[in-house]
Amino acid sequence: MKVMKFGIGQPMRRVEDLRFITGKGQYTDDIQPKRATFAYVLRSPHAHARFKISDTAAARAAPGVLLVLTASDLAHLGTIPCNGVPDDVDMVLPDYPVLARDIVRHVGDAVALVVAETLAEAREAAELLEVTYSSLPAASGITAAMAVGAPQVWPDVPGNVGYDTSMGDAVKTEAAFAKAAKVVSIDVVNNRVVANYMETRAAIGEYDAKRDVFTLTTGSQGVHGIRKTVAQTILKIDTLKLHVKTPDVGGGFGTKGFVYREYPLVLEAAKRIGRPVKWVADRSEHFVSDAQGRDNITTAHMALDARGRFLAMKVDILGGVGAYLSAFAPYVPWLGMSMATGCYDIGSFFGRTRIVYSHTVPVDAYRGAGRPEAAYVLERLVDACAREMKMPPEKIRALNFVTPKQMPYETLTNRTYDVGDFAGALKAALAKADYAGFSKRAKLASKAGKLRGIGIASYIECTAWGDGEEGSVELRPDGTFLMRVGTQSNGQGHETAYAQVVAHYLDVPLERIALIQGDSVQVPTGNGTGGSRSIPVGAAMLTRASVILVKQLKDLASDILETAVTDLEIEDGAIRVAGTDRQVTYGQIAASPKASKAKLKATAEFVPPEATYPNGTHICEVEIDPQTGETSVVGYHLVDDFGMTLNPLLLAGQVHGGIGQGIGQALMENTVFDGEGQLISASLMDYALPRADHLPSYDFETRNVPSTTNPMGLKGAGEAGSIGSSPAVMNAVIDALYRGYGITTLDMPATPHKIFEAIRDAGGYR
Amino acid sequence: MQKISMIINGRAASGHVDSRTLLVQFIRDHEHLTGTHVGCDTSQCGACVVHVEGKAVKSCTLLVLSCEGANVTTIEGLANGEQLHPMQAAFREHHGLQCGYCTPGMIMAAVDIVNRKGHHLDEATIRHELEGNICRCTGYHNIVKAVAAGAEAMQHDHAAESAHAHAAE
Ligand code: FES
Ligand code: FES
Repeated sequence: MKVMKFGIGQPMRRVEDLRFITGKGQYTDDIQPKRATFAYVLRSPHAHARFKISDTAAARAAPGVLLVLTASDLAHLGTIPCNGVPDDVDMVLPDYPVLARDIVRHVGDAVALVVAETLAEAREAAELLEVTYSSLPAASGITAAMAVGAPQVWPDVPGNVGYDTSMGDAVKTEAAFAKAAKVVSIDVVNNRVVANYMETRAAIGEYDAKRDVFTLTTGSQGVHGIRKTVAQTILKIDTLKLHVKTPDVGGGFGTKGFVYREYPLVLEAAKRIGRPVKWVADRSEHFVSDAQGRDNITTAHMALDARGRFLAMKVDILGGVGAYLSAFAPYVPWLGMSMATGCYDIGSFFGRTRIVYSHTVPVDAYRGAGRPEAAYVLERLVDACAREMKMPPEKIRALNFVTPKQMPYETLTNRTYDVGDFAGALKAALAKADYAGFSKRAKLASKAGKLRGIGIASYIECTAWGDGEEGSVELRPDGTFLMRVGTQSNGQGHETAYAQVVAHYLDVPLERIALIQGDSVQVPTGNGTGGSRSIPVGAAMLTRASVILVKQLKDLASDILETAVTDLEIEDGAIRVAGTDRQVTYGQIAASPKASKAKLKATAEFVPPEATYPNGTHICEVEIDPQTGETSVVGYHLVDDFGMTLNPLLLAGQVHGGIGQGIGQALMENTVFDGEGQLISASLMDYALPRADHLPSYDFETRNVPSTTNPMGLKGAGEAGSIGSSPAVMNAVIDALYRGYGITTLDMPATPHKIFEAIRDAGGYR
Repeated sequence: MQKISMIINGRAASGHVDSRTLLVQFIRDHEHLTGTHVGCDTSQCGACVVHVEGKAVKSCTLLVLSCEGANVTTIEGLANGEQLHPMQAAFREHHGLQCGYCTPGMIMAAVDIVNRKGHHLDEATIRHELEGNICRCTGYHNIVKAVAAGAEAMQHDHAAESAHAHAAE
């Protein structure tokens, strides 16, 4: 097939941009339904308390108030389900009610909803609610919750451990450790972070009494999953009685994918008052009402032989889940464990994972979900091994990588890597980073009183596994095309990327191919965005649909032009008889009496047979001012294997954004609860998000090895940037501190204060 | 309720507002110009940046009553009809946006940077000058490129405009 000018592989500029750069994007809060009312959620100021709402009358009587809901009004509703229990795990699933009943379990736990004519009235009325709290001792975070005698979050979960599961071969692993030439151990904390998409969550509930149909409009990561859960499990209605719509979404990063309490609340309220009900989180609310990310404490050990080969590895993961189980919370640390051995060929493996409740905001999937945690532990451990073995970090990696010859490679965690050239990516990244010239740069820096460090992280991750997508491409009467896909762009640019696939087969400009997404009526099924699945799964499905549509349209054209199909070719938005100017445009085909709806539309499905395994190497170079502890990232180079590139511009954008989040986590972001479970970092004043000045430019390149489990060779790319980056940055920081002060360990975020203290503890600035 | 009137994107806008109303609320809720966004409640993010009297301001920090009679430009008023402003075009050309939520504020801030610092901006200057605007999607790399290119393009645009004006004389 010849290369189409708008098609696959081209750096097409985005079609969606025109509305975003002119202010015409439409996010949930931009929608103002007629007769809209406004909702305010009253939230707990306590991390753990018994509470009673003794009087709602004053609030109900306040000006403008239309409705007050507390748990006792919602007895008919189901609870928020957790669908992310790993297959082999048996665990209690504590209730996650739509509004807290009798006990609040984290700061921000929702206790009441007030709806009024204006938001100000709703907020003022909420202050009139008489809520009496009698505070209870709180377990604030993983360590406190694991302590002997810690306050229990759930009566039926003693010790606050939600599950305790393992993977691998304990006996074989212990035997390998017993005969190892060297054992290297590390303890690392993967700090809890907050997604902080710039568009906070919002929801609009509407109810059409005549049709008995609810409509929920919310910035989600996929309407169908939310529809199913909210309708079937919470509202207990037929799925088709709930219409879920998602307009433009201002970032999601995994965290916008879950069902949150406000969704059933605005729907229930809309039904009761017979008017649309709108709720919009403000930024401070985002910090306590949306699931948070990461939060692991891990111990890891590597057994090595005298040459530096990895004989065996052990990990022990504690994954914080907060007070309630959010949608995929139990799955995330388990997923991390399943990627624990990364790019390396290790003799044996044993992993243990426990999830831990505490009186803190729930934790769930955030960009990478488990894989960044796994890569962080492993790449920190590998660097520690290199130091202890006195081997260069690139050499110990190359020595232990799974090689292309070993592919397909069965990991000790029951995964099959189909392809990948880890050493090739490492080598290319070392060249890009001028690794060989580092010592010269370090010397220059040290003359200027600075510490330079360089850090490598070679990662592999899993993407686009599990559910498939069914969707369609259709030719419309005006000669334009329409795609219906059940994934959901949160800013990735699917309108463009998907159109490129269709354009590739039908040779039409992207502007003539529209995407319908985010509407559970107009798109019958879907599984949303998450796990870097939209491009590998959505584009593969659209390829199939496009091929079918091409055949159908050629059949029609052959009828219209009275020519054999084999003589037809697609060119410039038309089907023509090859080598002649006899042609029929798509518009003419659509208008032809021979065309029928069925012939103008092609539906296809793609279900991934296995995950795809993107991989690569990040190399970060930092400079630390030992007097202030301040770190600047002075170089960032990476080589990734994404199998195949659909649009290099969008691909780089995904990688850049992921790295930005990874550097943020490594150097500045932190979610801090005090001993009582109060969230100290609950605004953008206290939670440091990376700004332009904190981040470097990125030197990114692909070195693709096509996936064999995806028909287009694609591997997911949405999360990879956040996976390779935090270990690369921390390895660079520790490298600098080791060179200067013999420091071998430091937890994220490597803030100036923390580095300053580490230097002080190592004897102080000299 | 107090009366307020101003010029937004060249059109007269007026209304009766509560004295606590912020400029951003007036722009979004009263004027239905929803391109100006709200990203925070502590004036940290810059999603709300508009121009008042030609200068970039965070519209979440101003009481609308303090803008009586002011000349306000929002993202909706930046393009010249169908003709994109060079900074808007540069953001698209360099993929300086993903979800688009920070974008209106970024573009308005960027135009202001050019107005203050000129058309030849180096990377360090751009990064430093963007300190009031947060983007969570792009990692800033392409925003920085877009601002540099947009700044250059604005110069040519000026040249084009004055050449045009000259020819018309
Ligand atoms: S809304 Fe964040 S600075 Fe104005
Ligand atoms: S493009 Fe999403 S916040 Fe900047």
